[in-house]
Amino acid sequence: MSERAPFVPDEVATAPRSDALLRESVEALGHGFAMWSAEGVLAFCNEAFQNQFPVSGGRLKRGISIRNFLEQVARSGLLMLPYAAETWIADELASTEARRSSEYTFSDGTIHRIERWRLQSGGTLMLSREITTAKKNKLALMKARHDADDAVQNKLRFLRAANHDLRQPLASLKIQIYNCMTCEDEAQRNEILHAMDVSVSIMEDILGALLNIGQLDAGKIVPKIANFQLTTLFERLEVQFAHQAREKGLSFRLVPTTLTVVSDRVLLERIISNFVSNAIRYTETGGVVVGCRRDGKDARLEVWDTGSGFDPKYSQAIFEEFFRIADEQTKHKHSLGLGLNIAKRLADMLHHEIRVRSVPGRGSVFSVKVPVGNIWHSDIGEPEINERIGGEFTGLTVLVLEDDENLREALTTLLQRWGIEVHSFNTFNDVATSFRALEIKPDFIITDYRLRGGVAGTDVVQQVRNCLGTACPAVVVTADTNPSLIKQIRNNGFPVLIKPVSPPSLRVMMHNILYEPELVQELRPPEARD
Amino acid sequence: MPLSDESPDTADNVLPVGSMVPLSGPSAADGREFRNGVILAAEELNQAGGLLGKMINPVFVDTGRQTADEVVRAARTLIEKHRVHAIINGYNIGPQNSEYEPIADAGILYIHHNTLLQHHDTVMSNPERYFGCFMGDPAEYWYGQGFIKFLSWLRDSHQWRPRNNRIAVVSGAKPYSIVIANAMVSAAAQFGWNIVYGPKVVKSMQTDWNAILDEIRGHDPAVLANTQFYAGDLAHFHLQFMQAPLPVLLYLQYGALHRTFLDLVGDKGKGAIVGTVIGLPRDEMGEEFAKRYFDRFGPDSTPEVGCQPYTSLHHYAYAVAMAGGSGGPGAFSINRRVAANLQKTIYRSVSGTIRYHPQWQAAIPYPDVVHDSSLGIPHLFYQLRKADQRHALIAPEPYADTRFELPEWIER
Repeated sequence: MSERAPFVPDEVATAPRSDALLRESVEALGHGFAMWSAEGVLAFCNEAFQNQFPVSGGRLKRGISIRNFLEQVARSGLLMLPYAAETWIADELASTEARRSSEYTFSDGTIHRIERWRLQSGGTLMLSREITTAKKNKLALMKARHDADDAVQNKLRFLRAANHDLRQPLASLKIQIYNCMTCEDEAQRNEILHAMDVSVSIMEDILGALLNIGQLDAGKIVPKIANFQLTTLFERLEVQFAHQAREKGLSFRLVPTTLTVVSDRVLLERIISNFVSNAIRYTETGGVVVGCRRDGKDARLEVWDTGSGFDPKYSQAIFEEFFRIADEQTKHKHSLGLGLNIAKRLADMLHHEIRVRSVPGRGSVFSVKVPVGNIWHSDIGEPEINERIGGEFTGLTVLVLEDDENLREALTTLLQRWGIEVHSFNTFNDVATSFRALEIKPDFIITDYRLRGGVAGTDVVQQVRNCLGTACPAVVVTADTNPSLIKQIRNNGFPVLIKPVSPPSLRVMMHNILYEPELVQELRPPEARD
Repeated sequence: MPLSDESPDTADNVLPVGSMVPLSGPSAADGREFRNGVILAAEELNQAGGLLGKMINPVFVDTGRQTADEVVRAARTLIEKHRVHAIINGYNIGPQNSEYEPIADAGILYIHHNTLLQHHDTVMSNPERYFGCFMGDPAEYWYGQGFIKFLSWLRDSHQWRPRNNRIAVVSGAKPYSIVIANAMVSAAAQFGWNIVYGPKVVKSMQTDWNAILDEIRGHDPAVLANTQFYAGDLAHFHLQFMQAPLPVLLYLQYGALHRTFLDLVGDKGKGAIVGTVIGLPRDEMGEEFAKRYFDRFGPDSTPEVGCQPYTSLHHYAYAVAMAGGSGGPGAFSINRRVAANLQKTIYRSVSGTIRYHPQWQAAIPYPDVVHDSSLGIPHLFYQLRKADQRHALIAPEPYADTRFELPEWIER
């Protein structure tokens, strides 16, 4: 805190003592205060003003003119001036307003409001108040409000986009469910179920992507760039759109490609599927073709349609949020005009160039340019490599006959970890009915020997084999270690494992029975056994 | 001084390391090289002062035909009789992880090169129990997927223009062969290939391949892959293939790199593609190792095979040194420290970089999983040349030293 006495110019100092009270009051204000005479010379200023404007070597000199004061302030760099110094000084001096108020940011970051009053005597009264805190509070409040408005807008945009994007796979799913309900051919039904599974996974991905778009609005999205095969994307497009196109009587063709690209797999799919979705929506006859061509070191993914096309003057506007060409509004009420906007935003984020060309009445081509990737680095899309995905038993169907619930669950968990589809039943009074209800064709049977109700597992296996009409391979597991019983089971051609069965021993036994039966004693003719 | 195969001295200055090797049976040639690899590593380490003052004494037990019974028995012998601190060896094709049980019970380290996906699942099913079980090479699964990428790379880089996109796959009956074949099938479509034949699972010791080759001929493939395990099976297949070659790019599984295969097929092997997920890169380290190996075991030895346990014993030695020691059966605490060090220490071996996956406890392959060649062990692709010529190492970069050549049977 300064210990200097307040500067009082001579003429002020000689003023009557009755002014002392006024001076004391002015010092107590806590704000910078200065009076300038009608001749434009400093008549009085308090300590706070001195501290705010430490010009003239630190002390305001006696007789300093307001012009000189302003020039020194401008030169000192104390203030961030709103425009060139000369102009600012001229403007300040020329002001004839009775009251003038201006806000200045000082070089130390503080903000001050400086007010000037023109006195009747022709002099000037100057009051400088620091308003940094109030100003920052106000800015913070404005930012908070702005953020809140943005959040509301983003939420609305998210809901609209979700509504828009989920319609595509949902529509496919509805068609697939209907087809599945009426389909009697098992192979065809399995195919439809696979397509339904893909549709659901597409919906999951879309929701994930939309959540990412919400994050994009918040500036938080980080694309996961990887090398991957375009065929994986094309396969999903086929599932997603082939039904819809056919339902509308359109052809839908994906030109096979072997290219590897570098992008975010999910976000790129969103871009292309939005192009395709639009193409189908605005095409009444003909069809849609999706293809890819090399363009130097890049690949250009193109979506061609024979739809209504549009005037090239809209080539930029169609990527704006909620934009729809007026003529199309009545025809396509379900379109919110978000798809292309999302595609553009995603492409910008991925640094992929989008192009469009269109001929009204003939059709359009939307394309996105993506870098070609390194096939060695191509990600096959599996998050984890394990036996569930790539083991020797992956895809097999196994029937487990075990009436102990805990053992059955443990065995099921183990087999599923090996990629096996597991089925079971545990009522054995009518084996044929129980088995047929499963509607499966097992590749292998694992059975306990003593099943509920005193039923022998080997008898149940035989009945299942009769239903199948084939000698489905089987292994018996038993806790009974009676040598004569084990021998009897083996003599009947059933390999045996003794409980508790270790995973490796089950694995070895299953492998040998399925792939190297010559290694299994029980499967050899009696005369060939050791 | 060369090491002996006798029972180890269990004195304080000796660190017994077991090795389960097929010294008899159909993989005896490989077993011999696995034994050589362990011997050379132990000799080098001992010559440099041993491991924390202890001399490494390898103990070998023959696993014969490598069945589960034989390998489990070998593990028990090493644990109970020889009180080994670790078991380090090449592969044993038959036990399918059943040998993990006595090893996990004993709490010792086990580094093998079984090249099996089931290792991932066994370890991940109970990481606490199988803390000491490591696979020093990647799972066989990567052979399949990597081969499809290799094919696609040949096609896309215009080194080879396939007549069509059709692939025929013949598989051996071992889990190893089946997993590789399945992996090829699962990856093919993504890369624009169509499996038109197989995987046809064919039992081992097949001698007549003509019927299968005729079947394949009917499908007109551009690629034919055989994932059989045994070198002898592959050699019989190849010789019969060469009697009336199909115009295909021919891929043979790892066994075709073995001397047994080359001795049987001679110059007729030229042009076939063979891959390995653990081999010997032809860089400075690999070449120097090969020289040391030949000097020690003679010109007919195979450093490309012996390098597997050689690498793992060296890596184990680093882990033990960092842990401040190791222990025999029952010494769980110190051996857990050794396992932790093995896990976290990235080791640039003569075969490339060994970096264990934190969950799989298996070496991570390049470029199949990691895209940085300094962070994974290379999946190498060779093209066989004439019997007296070195195989051409054609992929991947930066290990390749030459380019693919169109096989004569395709040119014809």
